[in-house]
Amino acid sequence: MNHDPHQQAQEMIACRSDGLSQAQQAWLEAHLATCDRCREYANAAEELVRALRSVPITAGAELVRTTQARARAHALKLQQQRERMWLIWISCAVVTLSTALTTPLLWQGFAWLGAWIRVPDAIWQTGFVLFWIAPALATSVLLAASGTFLGSRNGAPQG
Amino acid sequence: MNATACYFVNWMEPENTAIARGLRRHDPDLLDRLIEQYQHRLLRYLIYLTSSRETAEDLFQETWLRVLERGGQYDGKHAFNTWLFAVARNLAIDLMRRKKPESLDAPRGEDEAPLDIPDSAQPSALDVVAQRELSERVMAGLAGIPADYRETIVLRFHEGLSLEEIAAVTGAPVGTVKSRLYRGLNALIPRLKGAQG
Repeated sequence: MNHDPHQQAQEMIACRSDGLSQAQQAWLEAHLATCDRCREYANAAEELVRALRSVPITAGAELVRTTQARARAHALKLQQQRERMWLIWISCAVVTLSTALTTPLLWQGFAWLGAWIRVPDAIWQTGFVLFWIAPALATSVLLAASGTFLGSRNGAPQG
Repeated sequence: MNATACYFVNWMEPENTAIARGLRRHDPDLLDRLIEQYQHRLLRYLIYLTSSRETAEDLFQETWLRVLERGGQYDGKHAFNTWLFAVARNLAIDLMRRKKPESLDAPRGEDEAPLDIPDSAQPSALDVVAQRELSERVMAGLAGIPADYRETIVLRFHEGLSLEEIAAVTGAPVGTVKSRLYRGLNALIPRLKGAQG
């Protein structure tokens, strides 16, 4: 806890009344009315803030234009990446769902076929695995390629 | 929080939420508008932070690209400028660490080059001279105080951020922000007075 009233007042001035209660504000005003040193500090702080705000720093039009062009190109690139990811996610979901639904039926079908043509279990089971993986792989590859194709059609403008 | 502040926060919320939504969509029109809106404030902050207009301009562009990439992290619950300054600050710190192993918090050496004085394009010759002198005094004063004091003073007095917002940008507690403001002012006022005398 700070017991020096001058330091306390100057800390309040430095914060420029941010976070001060009405009571603190009233105390500060009363203190400034009687203390030359702190009033001088307040005036100097006020002058400093005015001087600081008068420094003319502005962004050039060329910088803003270049930044906007770069940001726009980057935004379009990110949008295309997101679209592509959506296609891949959807294709994965479709493939997973169809696989889950058809696997038991296919297994029974392959087992019946294996028994009918009288081949060892290992043969029809290998055939089942290949049959099961091939469409999923083909669909994923095709949809991923389709996403790439869409991306190149909506290509970002150059420059 | 008083009634005015409450009203301000409630009024700001839909705007911030719209910004957050637009950033998640990587909306290029929103980016255009934000760059236009924050161009001077962001560049000014970066110049004070890095002490170099050239570096600040590079970081200015990088900041907006980073805003695009990390836009999903902005939740819209806080002021956008606070988040923007924090992104810019992190990029500036990364750059400074790459250039030299000192942190941003390290005091600026007296032998380092002064802060870049911006070009003044005022038409009146007398105004130009007076403004230029004042700018030089302020910039020289700022250049002579530690970087963390300088940053806090600029965010508070130039950009008008609240103590809590400065704490969010710099990652320092509010008590530290208050202390930096007080110490920064104490370091800066005599320098400006000395330059005037």
